[in-house]
Parts: sequence; structure tokens; C-alpha cells
Amino acid sequence: MKKKKFSILQIVLMAFMMLLTLTMIIPLLHILARSLSDPALSPSMSGLSIIPKGFTLINYEVLFSNKNLVPSIFNSIFITLVGTIINIFLTITAAYVLTRPNLVGKKILMIFFIVMMLFDPGIVPEYMVVKALGLMNSQWSVILSMSVNVYYLIIMMRYFEAVPPSLCEAARIDGAGHLRTLFSVIAPLSKAGIATLTMFYGVLRWNEYFRAGIYISSIKKVPLQVILRKFIVDGDVTTLIGTQNLLNYNELAQLDFTALQYATIIVAIIPILMIYPLVLKYYTKGVMEGGVKE
Amino acid sequence: MLKNKEHKRNPRRTLHRMWQDRTLYLLLAPTLIYFCIFRVWPMINMRLAVYNYKAKGDWTFAGLKYFKMIFKSPAFADILKNTLIISFMKYVLLFPLFVVFAIMLNELRHNKFRKYVQVVSYLPHFLSWVVIAGIWMSFLAPSNGALNEILAWFGAGPVDLMTSKGAIRWVLFFSEGWRSLGWDSIIFYTAIIGISPDLYEAALMDGANRWDIIKHIIFPALIIPMTTVFILNLGFFMSAGFDQVFNFTNPAVNSVIDILDTYIYRVGIENAQYSIATAVSLIKGVVGVILVYLTHITSKKLTGEGVW
Repeated sequence: MKKKKFSILQIVLMAFMMLLTLTMIIPLLHILARSLSDPALSPSMSGLSIIPKGFTLINYEVLFSNKNLVPSIFNSIFITLVGTIINIFLTITAAYVLTRPNLVGKKILMIFFIVMMLFDPGIVPEYMVVKALGLMNSQWSVILSMSVNVYYLIIMMRYFEAVPPSLCEAARIDGAGHLRTLFSVIAPLSKAGIATLTMFYGVLRWNEYFRAGIYISSIKKVPLQVILRKFIVDGDVTTLIGTQNLLNYNELAQLDFTALQYATIIVAIIPILMIYPLVLKYYTKGVMEGGVKE
Repeated sequence: MLKNKEHKRNPRRTLHRMWQDRTLYLLLAPTLIYFCIFRVWPMINMRLAVYNYKAKGDWTFAGLKYFKMIFKSPAFADILKNTLIISFMKYVLLFPLFVVFAIMLNELRHNKFRKYVQVVSYLPHFLSWVVIAGIWMSFLAPSNGALNEILAWFGAGPVDLMTSKGAIRWVLFFSEGWRSLGWDSIIFYTAIIGISPDLYEAALMDGANRWDIIKHIIFPALIIPMTTVFILNLGFFMSAGFDQVFNFTNPAVNSVIDILDTYIYRVGIENAQYSIATAVSLIKGVVGVILVYLTHITSKKLTGEGVW
């Protein structure tokens, strides 16, 4: 009797969790489906439908024929790659220095970084610095102004602290300098940590739109998220598609602006989906497997 | 403490050690330079709050003029109220749901199904707020949106929640939950799977059922992470999640979700009233630091561990 009641509870629980995950999956699949649908049919599509109506790639053709969108994808890739390399290099070196046991001034340095983390001067004072440095309308404004995240620096320090200090000492006795100790002892032993933080920084960089929207005024230099925001939040269709393009395509077929929006969303999500399995592998492996108890 | 004394007694030795470790300071230098340029310099620029800005020539001293303007303006009171209400919903009302989700995840007996739930629920955390705004606008669309399709089965609707003043804060609440349910529950789930199996065995021997186990074993193990999360959340109270509001807002509802950071952006960047925006940033920053410091002290008293 008791056992049966338990399994009913399990089924209810599983059904509930299934519903919850469906609220995450269905909207995404619907967006994908409508972006692949025939613009003549898609405006009447139900928000719950996840199968394309009259499969076509026309929405993606419109997007990729656009003179603003394609460069913005390359801008995003450039900012993400260069930005992440700077992030990870600075974070690794700073974390190494701050985890050395006998560093003189360690306490003062830590207080400095925590103050940097807690007190946000806000966007206007930073805007003036970017202006004074002559970085306005340059992608370096975005790349440099987000060089280190203190929160991620502290996570990196936790990973480095987990490396047994005796290994570093042994390396030092063998005559290795700090750089060698860092790159041939600590870094290889903290692979999971470095991989995780590289991905976190990469995601942060790819998703960045706010500073880029303020500092970069030339549409040729902005990253994809800025274009996406103009399109979705500001509802500015012509910026993205271009008037001439709109005219050209209107002759060929009807356009579904919502489907074009959705296609842009899909383009912005793809790199995240590509990196996601790595996040699962390096960061959440423990919680995914630690759950096996019985 | 002892070390410090030693340093004071022997400054030459300290200098010698610093010279020996010069590679370390050199390695740290780029990071320090970054913070000096992009954090300390802006902090110095915050003196703008008490100056009149001039693009060319010297700034003139304005005293507390801008602070008086801010505190006199009825708009500021509304914005502060919106910030606190939205923060309360996100940081106080929402996080118990993450705890419940972690407990439910742990109750799932089918391992593959649990992994599936984890894989799906962690994903939204990695999407940008621009993308999430797009997804939610699609989900809540007045014509053909998924929510209204479902409401139609029950003969209700259609509703347009994105432009409804009464609903928009709850849209923020649920979209934040949608994004963070999986990811933010990890800390609680980790605490649950860290519970010793002996405890479960002992409880089962005493004839405890699942509910007893949740109440007497799992929940007590969650009290410390819950305290930590709650305290950290208080540090975000003055921010209320700018990225979300900035992308979910529209003219119909702006008056009820206009928060400090959206105000700073609008006044400072769009209207170029630098002094007012900086003054608001200063108020926000100082109150934020005080909140974190207070919670740090409280936390040390309650759990013996501070925030840092």
C-alpha cells in the first residue's frame, strides 16, 4: 500500500518537472520552428507549435543578405575571442599571485579587489574615462573595460588553492621560476577551473550588449547583441534589414518580421548551445553525477 | 598579526622579500593597472556629483545642488520604491522556490530523467537578457502567444501582460525564475547531495518516510546555504537586476518598473545630465556597500562566516 502511494507521488513529481522543462523547451523550439516557416503561413502559427509550417530558409537568407548583421557576427566573434583571452590571462596571473602564501601586502591587495567588486561607480563616470582615453566608437572600449571580473578571480583562486603547496615548493626547489610554476604545475592541475572560467567569460563576452550599445556608435562595429536588441526591444526593423533589402524581398515574398526576429535569436543562441556541453562537462559534472545515491 | 609585527621590526627584510618576489608583482601589474584605469579613475570622476559638468574648461563647484534636486523630485521617490519592490520580489520571494526545486530534484528517483531536468533547467542562465526578452515577448504575445493559446483552452484571455502595469512586475519575477531556477538551485542541491548516507539510513531504520526525511534531515542541511544566499542577495537590493528591466521595459509599463539603474542610464547617457546621474550612482553605491557590510557583520554573528 505504502509503496504504491510513493510511486504515484513520483509520477506526479515527474509530470510536474516535465511541465517545468517544457516551459523552457517549447518557447525555444517554437522560435526555431517559426524562423524556418514560410512567411506567408507563419503569422498565424500558434505559440505552442514546434513544427515549421512550409519549411523554408528565406528568413535566414534575408538576415544573411543584410549588410549590418553579418559584420556584427564577426564583431561579436572578435570581441569574444580577444576579450576572453585577455580575461583569462589576467585572471590566471592575478589568481596565481594572490594565492602565494608569503606574498607581502596580500591583505591590502585583497581588500583593494573586494572594494573594486563591491563599489560600482556607475556608467557615467566610466563613460568619461572611455571618452578621455579616446576609445569611443572602438571595440577596444568594450574589450578593455571588462578585463577582469573580481568574482571570477575569486573562483579561480579557489581552484588554485586546491593545488597542494608541496608541488609548487618542489618545482621551486628544482629551479622553476614563478612563470614555470604557474604554467607547468598549477595550470595543468586546474584544467577544470580554467576551462570553466574560460566558458563563463566567453558567455559574458558573447552576451554583452550594454557597453557596446553606449560606446560604439558605428553600426559597422557593433556586436550582434546590440543589433538584436535594436530589433527586439526597440522594434527597429529597418536598421536590421535595410530599406532596400525590404523592398527587394517584398517583391519575392511576404515578410514575417516576427520570424525574422526569431531567426536572429537563433543565430545569437547557437554559440551558447555549442559551448553548453562543455559547461556540463567541466562545471556541473559533480552535481550531475553526485546525485546517484541508490 | 605576528607577521605584521615582524615586518614593522624589520622593514629591510620585507623590502628584500618584495624584491625577491618582483616577478609576482610584475604579473599582478596588468590587473592592477586595469582596475586603476577602469574602476579607480571612475571613482575619482564621481566628484562630478558635486560639480557642474563642462565639456571644455574647469568644472565649477555645485555643492549639494544635485542631491537636493534628486531628493526633492517626486520621480526619485517612485524609482526608489520600484527598485525596492522589484528587489524584494526577486531576492526575498523568489529564492525559496529555488530551494524547493533543489529538494524536488533530489526526490526524483529516475536518474536519467533527473539529468534531463538538470540539462534543460541550467540552460536559460547562459542566454543573454536580450534573447530572454525576445523569448518572453514571444511567449506572452497577445495574438498566438503560447500563454494565450493555453488560456484560450479555458475560454479565457487574450491578455497582454508585457504592457500591463499590474502584471509586468510579475513578468519580471517569473522570467527571473525561469532563467535562474536550475542554475541558482545548484548551491542548494550540492548541499543536499553532500548529506551523509548514514543519516538517511538511521532515519529509515527509525521508520521515517520521505516527508520526515525532508523535514528533519534535508531542510536543516539547507539552512546555512539559504542564509548565505539571502545575505548575498541583500547586496543586490539597490540594483534589482538592471539587464532584465532594461530589456523588458516599454513605454506602457515604464513607470512601474523604472529602477535606479535605468534612471541613471536615461538621465546620464541619453540626456547627458552627468552630474545628476553620478549623484544617483553615488547614493546607490554607498547604500549598497553599507547593506553588504551590515549583512557581512550579521552573517559573521549568525553563522561564524562572513561574506568574504
